Amino acid sequence: MRFALQNAGRNIWLAVATVLVFVLMLLTVNILVGLNVLTQAAIASVEERIDVSVHFSKGTSEALVVAAQDYLSGLSQVKSVEYISAEEALQRFTQQRRANDDILRAIDTVGANPLGPELIITAHTPEDFAFILEALSNPTFGDAIEQKNFSDHEQMIELIRGVTYKVRLFVFGLAGVFALIAILIVLNSIRVSMYTHREEIGIMRLVGADNHFIRLPFALEGVIFSVVATVIAALIILPVTAAIQPALTSFFEGATVGLNEYYLAHWYWIFGLQALGLSLLAIIASTFAMGRYLKV
Amino acid sequence: MIKLHRVSKHYPPDLKALDEVDLRIEPGEMVSIVGQSGAGKTTLLRLLIAEERPTYGNIVVGGWDITGIRRPEIPYLRRQIGMVYQDFKLLPKKTAAENIAFALEVAGESRRRMRDVVPQVLKIVGLHGKAERYPFQMSGGEQQRVAIARALVHRPKILVADEPTGNLDAITSQEIIDLLTKINDFGTTVLLVTHDRTIVDHLKRRVITLKDGRVVRDHVGKYTLA
Repeated sequence: MRFALQNAGRNIWLAVATVLVFVLMLLTVNILVGLNVLTQAAIASVEERIDVSVHFSKGTSEALVVAAQDYLSGLSQVKSVEYISAEEALQRFTQQRRANDDILRAIDTVGANPLGPELIITAHTPEDFAFILEALSNPTFGDAIEQKNFSDHEQMIELIRGVTYKVRLFVFGLAGVFALIAILIVLNSIRVSMYTHREEIGIMRLVGADNHFIRLPFALEGVIFSVVATVIAALIILPVTAAIQPALTSFFEGATVGLNEYYLAHWYWIFGLQALGLSLLAIIASTFAMGRYLKV
Repeated sequence: MIKLHRVSKHYPPDLKALDEVDLRIEPGEMVSIVGQSGAGKTTLLRLLIAEERPTYGNIVVGGWDITGIRRPEIPYLRRQIGMVYQDFKLLPKKTAAENIAFALEVAGESRRRMRDVVPQVLKIVGLHGKAERYPFQMSGGEQQRVAIARALVHRPKILVADEPTGNLDAITSQEIIDLLTKINDFGTTVLLVTHDRTIVDHLKRRVITLKDGRVVRDHVGKYTLA
């Protein structure tokens, strides 16, 4: 450890350059992490807005609708079930169409509430709606259901599912490319560092140092560089994500994206894994890059 | 004792750097190895520290047959032979004291022993007070003294010097040779590779002359190439 710290201190510009490359690499990786979080948030935001409205026939008893609500709430696929009484349904209907005089006049003409009670169901994932729809065929209350508007959303849900899959595939592919670039950058920067030390390594061999004795300080130096680079990257990323949070919220039309919260909640494993991965990469790279200079 | 029995070193396609060399150097001897460039002097030294392996023949150093030495054993061999080079081969980012201590550290010596031994060795080579200087802050002669100190710090039985005065002026060269002679007087076998006629003539010790990879003369006296 003493050799590693001494080596880094006495080759300060090489150390600074290597750490800088590591920091840039980590920033690249974290852009990817951020992109992934944003993609997931965007998908979740759209998925959360999908629901199924179940319209019961006019005159259906409240007890039957509540029984249906209880039944649906008990299903693991169902996230929430909101009960809307016939009166409330009418109120919402007129509220939404207050600009349309023809419709309001028609309701007045009818004189009574033409709407029945409703249940608004949300699911955990769009894939769950198919099961929920099937469950609504339950003979206890299936006959009382006048309309299920899932079919209206079905196409949209299918579209979102397709887009989600493609976005995830794209992000996964991008992660692969970024990871490859990052590995190549680290390998190259370690190779440059080892090339700079090649004479020193040769001299160490000539005075009787064994390979383990030569390798260890360089490996530890790689670990030190990795940890320092991770700390610097974290000190850049955390304030930046906090600063862009309002802009992201505005971009996602008020939906909570929580990029900064995500980093704050998971900083130990995000940066811990990055420091660990980078350290391992640096150790492996220095071991391989040094090999040729140890053949003295 | 160093013993070479019919040692040859060939490089592809058909270069014979050493050709059937037989040598026997007794403990405590001071031997100059001379010859023109390409005669095989440096190859001979490289074989002694296992930087190269012989194509044929046997090499025994201090009773250890190093002909087929395994890679993990090489550091142990090198800790028993002190090496001094023309270009000093000092670690540039370490001070004089650290360069010397490094040779002890690689052998796993304690910090306490380093603190005891390093100043002593620096004093022997006349560098007392320059322990904290980096190589770039020292003259060529001083750097070579550090290299000799590093070679000595293990108290090796054999010290091998490859053109140790090649980069030095005449006066400094003589000082370095005087230092090597002093080391030999303490009982260390010294192998000196040089093509400085003045030095060899002044020493009046055993001279081995190499030519085209062969020993062409082995005598006590003055420098001669044939």
